[in-house]
Amino acid sequence: MKKKYALYPGCLMPTEQYAYELSIRESLPLLDIELVDIDGFSCCGEPMKSVNRLLTLYLSARNLALAEKHKLDLFIPCAMCHLALSECRHILGNNPEMKKRINGMLASEELTYKGTGEIVHTVDLLHDLVGVETIKQRVKKPMKGIKLATHYGCHLIRPTEIGRPVDSEHPMKMEAILEALEAETVDYPEKLDCCGGILQINLPESALTKTGQKLKAVQEHGFDGFVDVCPWCHKMFDSRQSKAGETVAAKLDVPVFYLTQLLGLALGVKKEKLGLELNLSPVDKLEFG
Amino acid sequence: MRRIGVFVCHCGINIAQNVDVEALTKYASKLDDVVVSKQYKYMCSDVGATLIKDSIKEHQLDGVVVACCSPRMHEHTFREVVNDGGVNPYRLEIANIREQCSWVHGDRGKSTEKAKFLVRSAVAKAKLLEPLETSTLEVNPDALVIGGGIAGIQASLDLANDGFKVYLVEREPSIGGRMSQLDKTFPTLDCSSCILTPKMMEVGNHPNIDLLTYVEVTGVEGSIGNYTVKVRKKPRYVDVDKCTGCGDCAAACRLKGRISSEFDMGMGKRGAAYMPFPQAVPLKYTIDAEHCLFLTRGKCGDKPACREACVQKAIDFDQKEELVDLKVGAIVVTTGYDLLNPEDLYEYGYAVSPDVITTLELERLISSSGPTKGEILRPSDQQKPKSVTFILCVGSRDETQCTWCCRIGCMSALKHVYLLREKLGDDVEINLCYTDIRSYGKGYEEFYRKVRGLKTNMFRGIPSEVQNMGDHQKIDIFDTTTNKLFEIKTDMVVLVPALVPRSDAADFARLLHLTQSGDGFFLEAHPKLRPMDTFVNGIFIAGCCQGPKDIQDTVSQASGAASRVATILSKKELEIDPLIAAVDEEACTGCGICVDVCPYEARVLNEKAKIAEVNEALCTGCGACIAACPSNASIHKNFTKKQFLNMVDDIL
Amino acid sequence: MSIVDLTSMGKSQTELRKEINGQLSKLQDEISDYCFQCAKCTAGCEAHKLLELEPHKMVALLKRGLIDEMVNSDIIWTCMSCFKCRERCPQRVAPVEILFALKNMAVVSGKQIPGKYTAMLQSILSIGLIQDVQEVTTRDNKTMKRDELGLPSLSKPCDPAKFQVGLTKIAVEKV
Repeated sequence: MKKKYALYPGCLMPTEQYAYELSIRESLPLLDIELVDIDGFSCCGEPMKSVNRLLTLYLSARNLALAEKHKLDLFIPCAMCHLALSECRHILGNNPEMKKRINGMLASEELTYKGTGEIVHTVDLLHDLVGVETIKQRVKKPMKGIKLATHYGCHLIRPTEIGRPVDSEHPMKMEAILEALEAETVDYPEKLDCCGGILQINLPESALTKTGQKLKAVQEHGFDGFVDVCPWCHKMFDSRQSKAGETVAAKLDVPVFYLTQLLGLALGVKKEKLGLELNLSPVDKLEFG
Repeated sequence: MRRIGVFVCHCGINIAQNVDVEALTKYASKLDDVVVSKQYKYMCSDVGATLIKDSIKEHQLDGVVVACCSPRMHEHTFREVVNDGGVNPYRLEIANIREQCSWVHGDRGKSTEKAKFLVRSAVAKAKLLEPLETSTLEVNPDALVIGGGIAGIQASLDLANDGFKVYLVEREPSIGGRMSQLDKTFPTLDCSSCILTPKMMEVGNHPNIDLLTYVEVTGVEGSIGNYTVKVRKKPRYVDVDKCTGCGDCAAACRLKGRISSEFDMGMGKRGAAYMPFPQAVPLKYTIDAEHCLFLTRGKCGDKPACREACVQKAIDFDQKEELVDLKVGAIVVTTGYDLLNPEDLYEYGYAVSPDVITTLELERLISSSGPTKGEILRPSDQQKPKSVTFILCVGSRDETQCTWCCRIGCMSALKHVYLLREKLGDDVEINLCYTDIRSYGKGYEEFYRKVRGLKTNMFRGIPSEVQNMGDHQKIDIFDTTTNKLFEIKTDMVVLVPALVPRSDAADFARLLHLTQSGDGFFLEAHPKLRPMDTFVNGIFIAGCCQGPKDIQDTVSQASGAASRVATILSKKELEIDPLIAAVDEEACTGCGICVDVCPYEARVLNEKAKIAEVNEALCTGCGACIAACPSNASIHKNFTKKQFLNMVDDIL
Repeated sequence: MSIVDLTSMGKSQTELRKEINGQLSKLQDEISDYCFQCAKCTAGCEAHKLLELEPHKMVALLKRGLIDEMVNSDIIWTCMSCFKCRERCPQRVAPVEILFALKNMAVVSGKQIPGKYTAMLQSILSIGLIQDVQEVTTRDNKTMKRDELGLPSLSKPCDPAKFQVGLTKIAVEKV
């Protein structure tokens, strides 16, 4: 069954994390997901929550309202954006007064937030809506013999109270998807550790230490690769991996992938189309025939 | 030649891991008079019991030694096994190779050697054990409950409803105890008197309960099944049959409002003719002999005002104290607790400022029947306080005062916070200084959470002192949650003092031969398995006299104690343990020393025969007379000198 | 367009302070009172080992109303917003939300906003996103642009003027 979503790109993916966007646009249509581009989206506001929480709420509501205007559900590949928009739905759904106030502000762009649209992230779209069985059936190049570590990202798993697409303490949906690609996944103690990404804004050294500590552990556990589903996390683990290694005095060489890159490969998409050359971590270490 | 069997228990690994039970069994089999020696993993199990019984038959045993845990644990079990097997149960000897061997020694080789000595000496004693027969004793089916608080009330009602006659003795003019002083109870906020008064009335009206208020116990004689309790009826100077509780005497009393009220914890005043509180049972007035002008000075105006005022002519200054003997089969002790006097911790200012009060005093201020009719007014100026500060653990958990936790302080303080918030509104500042909040009971933690949400300033820490600044109290508190020192200026300080045994607990314990634990509370026979029993058969304890506890636990324990009493009273006869004193009539010179030393009045001099006999019903086998007898005529059955010497000789 | 311009169009500082103050006292009254200082939040805090953030202490200080002390401290800016403290708090206290409110308070009180927050905010105000499209480098050190990768044009607010009108209704204090 075909399903149509407006692709909500957020900030980081469409301005620098191109590999995620490329792999999404290539692989999801193969699973009967139609992605529609809408003009006019803005930042979700989450990075500004420390500065002004109302601004976050407003920006999230604005993007939700825009999708509602086009009568489309939203596919949100970024864990941080997904959190912001989920929390907005949670708050405005429970606080009619705030909803009224926000809608008053939205009027300047002729937008109204009703709360009618649905939102999904990469992981629940693949696991819950497409389904592991469908993915299994469409795999052309199974990833046999590869041992992968997963990273969900704090914003995807918490807080449960506002509704998150995966379990907060024992998330296993990425594992199920990767196993459908016939890759091997193994749990590891540091699985829920934070990438440190948000500190990139004001304490970049500490952010990198956090990243380095997790990758070092992953490397020591002997994983063949590391898979993530958030442009903020990926930027830390992949783009800044060598710098992160310096902060923990380790030579890191962990191949880091977006889940959708591996999905695309398994579905038979040529690797050139999945932005793999944009990964700065040594993804060549893995041979994908 | 005797035929003795030795049975070695492994006690799982409790014994076996530190004692070579194989070697021990083999060693025992070679001892003189031992015809069979066996071992098993759990000798106290059915399989173990069968092993012993089968061995008795197979080897025609006439004595049994079990090497196992302490006789306090399983001597009774094995006596029954041996009896079932056809051997006199008193021809059993226990060799304690667990508590006195495997549990306390580390070296397996040496432990095994010691176990061999223990078994060898047990066999030596077993050879000389006499078969004994139990005798029986008629049981007096009435019960005595001492103390008319909620524990005593519950125990009395349970027993009375089971059909037993109960004497309930209370030394105050009314029953009700501490619970009657409370306004609300945690965590449900049930009105204390609303749930207590019906029970008090039931006691007062119950056909099976003989309620004796203003009465004190002065002596106890006898033993389980047949106690004689001496009580002193204090004169009330009011004929309770005539008194209608109208209150005219109290209204007329010249000392009205001039004597500090014990019931109100000194927060209110009463006269010399008084009733402690309006719901008192019995609803009778009492003349306080310590203060009454007529009784202390022989003169009260022209004529005693109360006597003039009483229409019923119930005032009787000629009343004298009466001594009465009560005959009962069993006793429940429910004498309650005191609060630690906070003056013992002078730094908290209780002795200095009237605005530093205790929880029980606050309780009387909160109570609608209290001295302020439920209005919260601070004692110094009768104004509503704008800030109240609680200090928990005053003297509790304190190596210099009371080492124990009072178990109700946290919850009672939280209850007070709730009630003060209700009565004084949101603008009043409420501070609470605590070390830990212990909210362990059903619904307690939920109540604690509720109170945290009532704008309570919780400071984790204990103030070093309370300074009286005259119009307010100043407290420095170092809050360990913020690592900061705060200065609190507060109108009223409520101390939550430790719960302590009654001041006369030691005297009372001596009267009833009860044991006290190190904290001074009455000691239960076993903290887990015999929590209501004492070491005196037929005397049980319940409520705070056994240790601090809340109303829930007190009521449960009281019902438990009543049930333990019913177990005894429901029997017509009791078996008497034959392991008691006996007399070697040939050796006895009739000197009477044993009569003097016996704490149970079980030794009686037979003037005619010039020997000291044993009243088997009263003897508990304590051994005092045996130690005291100068002519070796007092004997403890199956603990004879001959038997012990044989044990010693055998192992030396 | 700059933040200063936006401020001049926004609500007065006092009003905004009042709003954030309201949020904080709501957090103080309705949440922090329930904290019983188990410090499970700090035990699991991603920022604690690295930067000594102690969320349970923040809650304790809020409980005492010692807001300024925290607002004036750099420590509140060390939170990684991992939400573990909120997720795992046995009393539903959510220290992370308290920290957000404190940082908001610091901003509205004219404290120095650390790091790149100002730049990001400015970018949002002008183009709707925290940054504009970047050139990226491949593993072989080749430079690539978004359009060169065959990706469609960037989605951003169609009418920046109208977008800004919406935003100015939220006062963002001068930095």
